[in-house]
Amino acid sequence: MNEEKTTHFGFQQVPVEEKAKRVADVFHSVAAKYDVMNDLMSAGIHRLWKRLTIEASAVRPGHKVLDIAGGTGDLSYQFSKLVGANGQVILADINESMLNVGRDRLIDRGVAGNLSYAQCDAQFLPFTDNTFDCITIAFGLRNVTDKDLALRSMLRVLKPGGRLLVLEFSKPQNELLSKAYDTYSFKILPFMGKLVTQDADSYRYLAESIRMHPDQETLKSMMDNAGFVNSEFHNMTGGIVALHKGIKP
Amino acid sequence: MINMLTSAGLVAAEKCINKSLQYDPATQNALTACEGKILSLQITAPAIKIAVLIQEKSIRLMSQWDGEVDTQLSGSMIALAQIAQTPVHNLKDSGVTVMGDLQFLAHLQKIVQQLDIDWEEMLTQIFGDLIGHQMAQTLRSKINWTQNRAKTAQRLASEFVTEELQAIPSTIELKEFYRQVDELRLAVDRLGARFNNL
Repeated sequence: MNEEKTTHFGFQQVPVEEKAKRVADVFHSVAAKYDVMNDLMSAGIHRLWKRLTIEASAVRPGHKVLDIAGGTGDLSYQFSKLVGANGQVILADINESMLNVGRDRLIDRGVAGNLSYAQCDAQFLPFTDNTFDCITIAFGLRNVTDKDLALRSMLRVLKPGGRLLVLEFSKPQNELLSKAYDTYSFKILPFMGKLVTQDADSYRYLAESIRMHPDQETLKSMMDNAGFVNSEFHNMTGGIVALHKGIKP
Repeated sequence: MINMLTSAGLVAAEKCINKSLQYDPATQNALTACEGKILSLQITAPAIKIAVLIQEKSIRLMSQWDGEVDTQLSGSMIALAQIAQTPVHNLKDSGVTVMGDLQFLAHLQKIVQQLDIDWEEMLTQIFGDLIGHQMAQTLRSKINWTQNRAKTAQRLASEFVTEELQAIPSTIELKEFYRQVDELRLAVDRLGARFNNL
């Protein structure tokens, strides 16, 4: 009997090969209003989460940085200033619409010279081994079909001693906060999505995909299993978001 | 868990400082010499750790910097504020310890001491030329008055403690005391030498 392999897409089970296309559809749909929605959904706190990720990156002038699922380029913009003229930043995203929005936005802000763009899949990164000093993936890992494969791919392209930072929604550490967060995610978020992007389904997927994403400890052990060392995580905003860090030995 | 409130506070402080720096182009230009450098401030009382990154003629304040720094300063808030404001060449007994690039520190100290923000320009941009200029004049006179009062109060307090209360010796008395101590030390040395000759 030939059983079809499935994976989760929000709360649904879909064939493995279908997930990437469905995630792509979500991001094609929201790309134009992505920044507005981020600000609305998080009341601007996403800027603080990203800022703390930049601080944890310890990126210095001359470093090479890969910003996976970089979307509209919030992190890449900061990194391009940190690495300076001798460094290099690659803004990578699997989704063409998101990458286009990010590229236009960064060019409009005058960022050029040390910043390149790549449309690529986090599971199969098209870079040579030991290339980057730092890799970040912010709010992207939960959309990847095979997270273990992606983590191994990131490990491969990191230089020894380089660090991976995963900024992702996670599990709130307080029961009361968790309940309020659930109400917000499943009732208010799709409504806001409908108002701003005329697309409630994409934001329902966002809420569902967050619930399906591994919690803090599970993701940490996944990083350990992939081969990272000194893996650790820091909760932000009561665990709604967590920043995981791992070093390539 | 990362303290988000501290980070948010630093963002607000950073915006305020960088906005002020826009009204002091000389300082902005001086900062370019330190482009990309990081100063770590390990404040012991109250316990706060802040990293200051110099970037594009402005500064960036970071609470969670996890990498190398060029210079690290440790000490209480008061001790750090004192060395920022006064030209100290020797940190002995200052309550501040320093590690790393001292030239960067000296450059920053000079920048802070030469800070000259054009508050009038800032006020005129917000309130217009007429009101802004008048506000700046009033502010300047108030600041001058406060500084004069502070100096007078310091002098009077010093005189009261030394002359009226006689709780501590005056400078002249202290100098006389030190002279007598020196004289006594020399006399003891001479006595010792005579004993050795016996």
